[in-house]
Amino acid sequence: MNPKFESIQFLALLRREVLEHRNLFIWAPAVLGLLIFVIDFLIVQGLDERTKIAFLEGLARFFGGGSPANMSPVFVFSTLPFLFILFMCATLYLTNSLYQDRRELSILFWQSMPVSNLKTVLSKVVAITVIAPVFYCAVIFALYVIAILWLIVSGLSYDIEVAGLGYMFLSAVLSVPVVYLFALTSALWLFPYMGWLLLFSAFAGRTPLLWAIGSLALILFLEGFLFDTQFLSNWIETRSDIDNFLIVEYGGLFARLFSYEMFIGLVVGGLLTTGAVFMRRFID
Amino acid sequence: MTDIVQAKSLVKQYGSFRALDGVDLNIPTGAISGLIGPNGAGKTTTLKALIGLCDVEGELKVAGQDPRRSRHKLMEDVCFIADVGILPKWLKVYQLVDYVADVHPRFQRERAERFLSSTEIPRDKRIKELSKGMVTQLHLALVMAIDVRLLVLDEPTLGLDIIYRKEFYDRLLNEYYDGDCTIIISTHQVEEIETLLSHLLFINRGKVVMDAMMSDIAETFTEVIVDPAQLEVARGLNPIYTREMLGKQCFTFEAVPRSRLESLGECLTPSVADLFVAKMKESKREPQV
Repeated sequence: MNPKFESIQFLALLRREVLEHRNLFIWAPAVLGLLIFVIDFLIVQGLDERTKIAFLEGLARFFGGGSPANMSPVFVFSTLPFLFILFMCATLYLTNSLYQDRRELSILFWQSMPVSNLKTVLSKVVAITVIAPVFYCAVIFALYVIAILWLIVSGLSYDIEVAGLGYMFLSAVLSVPVVYLFALTSALWLFPYMGWLLLFSAFAGRTPLLWAIGSLALILFLEGFLFDTQFLSNWIETRSDIDNFLIVEYGGLFARLFSYEMFIGLVVGGLLTTGAVFMRRFID
Repeated sequence: MTDIVQAKSLVKQYGSFRALDGVDLNIPTGAISGLIGPNGAGKTTTLKALIGLCDVEGELKVAGQDPRRSRHKLMEDVCFIADVGILPKWLKVYQLVDYVADVHPRFQRERAERFLSSTEIPRDKRIKELSKGMVTQLHLALVMAIDVRLLVLDEPTLGLDIIYRKEFYDRLLNEYYDGDCTIIISTHQVEEIETLLSHLLFINRGKVVMDAMMSDIAETFTEVIVDPAQLEVARGLNPIYTREMLGKQCFTFEAVPRSRLESLGECLTPSVADLFVAKMKESKREPQV
């Protein structure tokens, strides 16, 4: 097969993932974005006129006082609800991605196509690591555009100087690539977690999430019981500690991306994902 | 001509249950081969092994490749329709066609569109909204648009009404089969495909109990409605199956020259259904090792 066809084939696999999991990839962030906007809207509309003017002037002053690039981390933190939902959706997605088609027997169709298991599993990893954050960031961007436009229109109606709100918009826009890179780096940081879920998704006869959690608990217990050590639990604790990977600026993100710990995680995740590819070979 | 499927001593064990117990089979290139057996005989396991969906022990070559090592390469040459609605229910019809067009190098979209336009399948409906007959038509349209060397059909018309079943096999034979590709059909409805077949495989309890070309059936098997006076002589020739028909004894013989049987009564060529029953009864009588 030529490289062009290989690319078309892989894109088709990614499209399949988005179509199959559009609720997790598109609707979940869209609903969250709408919810956040409606809540903010109701809160601001509920303010009396004096407080509202003071709020808008305060925002304009705050963002007008610094460079948009320096203010963008404020917006990165404000996207944490989206990143939390992305994490939950990713867990659900990875748990079901190699299990659902086995359960409904459509695996017989997918396996009747000339697509290798390696490519299938890779498409799932790429879909949740690279593609899903694109949709989440698109929703975040749309939310910023709508919300700040609404603030600007409100400000103009009260004759407020809105230049600061323009800076606020620039800060928001500049934060979106950081959010994307953060989501991507976090996904790679959590690659062992992804590989573990994929392995049980490919293997479990039913309830793969329970298998994944139960097996981990058993391994942790056995390590303590047999060797009287806590190496694995310490490693998981360090890796899942939010302070260890909540980085919101380019320098820190790139440093994390090319760190030794990241490399170790990728190797462990890669081994577990290879296990998932192997388990998917035979569906019975 | 070489055999497109060459299998020797295939064994598949599920716990204590032996689904395949040393299956030997060879399917000639260009044949329309019927894989026939009762429930739990090992038909689906055999077919899954042929396309690399099931790990088996033994020697296996399909279209010159080992399905256990290179399923995805093999599936460029092989298509498969299973006994259940296996198309992903959440996809829309046009999305499914797009998907196959993008992942299968031998898919011809125009052919698929032509087949689909002769059906009433709406392109913008999800597969879960189609009737079972339409899902089978859709799957057949996709498969017929792929130029493959081997088509594997596992009970493809199960649960369909007679109109869809007949249309399925008519289209398969008239619009798809060109004599170059090989088709393997596993089914319970033997009578429906009897006229299509050029090769016959009976399987029971994980073993192939008969492997014959249809053209050899008449030479190998004879059904005799035995004259009452010849019953003892007929029994002496070791019939593989006996039954009663309209008050007369009907014996089925294997590899007994017809010239020796003509004096016993009226000689007939058994239908595939009768032969199937005969071989199943015979295999039940044989002691299991």
